[in-house]
Amino acid sequence: MEERVGEIWHNFITRMADKNYPEAEVKLVDIKKTVGVFFRALGGDGALSVLQTDASEYSSERGLLRRIARSTEKYEFAWLDEGALRLPEVIDYFATKTLNKELYLWLAALSSIPKQSADWLLDNQQRTQLALRAYPGLKALYQRLLNAHLSQRPEIDKISKAERAAEVLIVAALKNPGSVSELPPSKYMPRLVLLWLHPSPPVSQTEVAKDLGDSDNQRSGQEKDATDIGKKQAKRVETPEVARGLITIRMENLFTWGEFANMDRSTDDDEDPDNAKDVAKDLDELAIARNQRASKVQMKFDLDLPSEAMDDEILASGILLPEWDWKTQTLIENKCQVVSLVSSHEQDTQLPEHLKATAKKLRNQFQAITPARTWHYAQNDGQEIDMDAYLKYKTDALAGHSDGKVNLYKSLDSGARDLSCLLLADLSLSTDTWVNDDSRVIDVIQDSLYLFAESLKATGDRFGMYGFSSRKTNPIRIHTLKAFDEPYNGQIRSRIADIKPGYYTRMGAGIRHATSLLKNQVAMQQLLLVLTDGKPNDLDQYEGRYGIEDTKQAILSAKALGLKVFCVTIDEKANDYLPNLFGANGYSLVKKVTDLPKMLPMLYARLTI
Amino acid sequence: MNSKNVPFYKPQGNEVELFEHAYNNQLPLLIKGPTGCGKTRFIRHMAAKLDRELYTVACHDDLTAADLVGRHLINEQGTYWCDGPLTRAVREGAICYLDEVVEARKDTTVVLHPLTDDRRILPIERTGETLEAPDEFMLVVSYNPGYQNLLKGMKPSTRQRFTGVSFEFPDKQTEIYVLLAETDVDKATAEKLVSLANAMRALKDHDLEEAASTRLLIYAATLIASGLPIQQACKAAMVEPLTDDKETIDALMEVVNALLG
Repeated sequence: MEERVGEIWHNFITRMADKNYPEAEVKLVDIKKTVGVFFRALGGDGALSVLQTDASEYSSERGLLRRIARSTEKYEFAWLDEGALRLPEVIDYFATKTLNKELYLWLAALSSIPKQSADWLLDNQQRTQLALRAYPGLKALYQRLLNAHLSQRPEIDKISKAERAAEVLIVAALKNPGSVSELPPSKYMPRLVLLWLHPSPPVSQTEVAKDLGDSDNQRSGQEKDATDIGKKQAKRVETPEVARGLITIRMENLFTWGEFANMDRSTDDDEDPDNAKDVAKDLDELAIARNQRASKVQMKFDLDLPSEAMDDEILASGILLPEWDWKTQTLIENKCQVVSLVSSHEQDTQLPEHLKATAKKLRNQFQAITPARTWHYAQNDGQEIDMDAYLKYKTDALAGHSDGKVNLYKSLDSGARDLSCLLLADLSLSTDTWVNDDSRVIDVIQDSLYLFAESLKATGDRFGMYGFSSRKTNPIRIHTLKAFDEPYNGQIRSRIADIKPGYYTRMGAGIRHATSLLKNQVAMQQLLLVLTDGKPNDLDQYEGRYGIEDTKQAILSAKALGLKVFCVTIDEKANDYLPNLFGANGYSLVKKVTDLPKMLPMLYARLTI
Repeated sequence: MNSKNVPFYKPQGNEVELFEHAYNNQLPLLIKGPTGCGKTRFIRHMAAKLDRELYTVACHDDLTAADLVGRHLINEQGTYWCDGPLTRAVREGAICYLDEVVEARKDTTVVLHPLTDDRRILPIERTGETLEAPDEFMLVVSYNPGYQNLLKGMKPSTRQRFTGVSFEFPDKQTEIYVLLAETDVDKATAEKLVSLANAMRALKDHDLEEAASTRLLIYAATLIASGLPIQQACKAAMVEPLTDDKETIDALMEVVNALLG
């Protein structure tokens, strides 16, 4: 009962306090694409995706109601980091949908302009100036937003004296961007400015690197062994706050374990530093990074991996592949090591019962479309004269009964094709997820491989099938399912039957290895089909932009060798990153996962005919 | 042909000199560039300037060697030989231009081989003739490296027979100049249109398959000059032709609004 009353009170008082307009709200998901195109057209980096931001604490002076409603205020600010343009999930600050949408566009426009100054106030003003100068059409938009926003700002006589000066200056800065250089010191931030970007965005890695580069002497103290917990290697670290002094290790600053990973456990924040310390003891390597305000503990575990490695026979190991580091824009030679595997229990295996009917249908269809180059006779146009038809025409004409038919030519149509295709399937642990009650992603991939092989066998095209997974740079596990020179038979089927999910997706390395296999094939056309269920990722820094950029480089070098690269994915978020990797027409998203087995051969047909 | 009939062309770089040198030395030329950047116009310009007849063949995937070289046709009297555009160009010492040559079937390009090395001959198998190309004959092919079917490309052995030049969209100043020369639009509008085109070109490969071409810009400017409001003209000429996706159209219109005001 008490809880219920509390809830009603909370809702009542927050509604009183928030002067927002839920009926006019605009959601990021609905206009994500628009904002993305807009951002990129204005010069934003194409590798960045549009994501929603987290709420950040923002302590400005507040009215009584707001203070009653909440202990702290949180807002969603827009900011740009190395991986994404981050915008609020919902904007409902203004009374009309148009204005709320325009605020999204305005924030995207501001973000498209490079950072002008380290100072929030100057930066936002200068960006505003530049945006308005570069894009005259935004002037009217800015004016509309400004009017709406100014009417929402507190009246000057209703705020405390201490904040008044700041408020006057903020309004001036909004009206005449560039006119205010400094705010008077205050214990609060100025009242929220909706039209500006995040006052103190979480620091990105590149910026940290820059900061560190700027002050080398600060940096030298930070890469330290954590001596109090034994020999631990500390990784890229962060500028410590001057007041705290130089320290060997601060447990509440423990940021990642092993290597950077996206598992946010902020609720576990440094309650008990000893726990973190115990954990740290078990590690090979510690990475420590700067925190904004509340410290966060992020951990990623080397997940319990299936023991599939035991089942496979190692064909070859020690093939070294390079990897692209986008931060230094260099290709690091010999970074990844490939281990080539093949299933060790091979036996004659039949096609699973449930696929037999579909396989038969596909085989027939593919046989029908197998292009054989033949002469088509009695055509009304063609390269050569059809002598038989011509003779008949002439004799008929001489005999006096011409039927007026003029199909006297023959033409040679649909040439035989000279095509090699390599199908590279993602066998990472993420394929272990269930898509419905009966099957996992890996099962769907398995069915797809079967049907793909059945169909391609019917076309007569040369093809190979490989699976890949990885665990950091060593090993990159390449499973040979069917090499190019092997015939498709029961043995191949048993290898397909034997695939298991495991490890991670170092896609760049997978593509590079596949490229090297495929480019040795003698064929006029070489097609590399990548079948995946998600983004490139791995335990180390391969998560996020690093992986995307490396994959992109791998694709570019495959294309430079004349290979055609195409990706088939079942990741619904693929539209965010695949256009950048494979090009707008270089991939296909299969929305209904269970359709994949049937779709894949069809896609192949569409791509190659 | 006098200079008045030479189609307008504003050079982006040294392509005019290059073309002339290639022509004077009987070298074939390969022109690469995105669609609508001025490849065809350039060749028409050069043909007129050099006072040569121009035979243009738009290649497609059913284009056969016979379509280029010629074939026997039939009339009441019997069969007779009909020259294809390539043969005609060789006989007359004209410029033969194969547009989007990668679209043509692979075997088609092979008939070009003896024409594109120092032999400069065109054997016609069906009539037993072997034509020797006069010095005035020139072969020019073009293709768009950005847009390719997954399975189409130019054979290296064919590529290697050509001298090559890459076209890009003209730089800002050149493109403004082109707009002013081609249409009756005023300078301020031309500048806006060009900056809009450049913003939209940043979207190539990510959101758009193809970048907004100079040709589309000229369409937009033409519509504006004939009285259509600028936003509508841009939508019709620069947004709708580039995408069918509703969301992308909306997004591009936001870009148009932001840049044009």
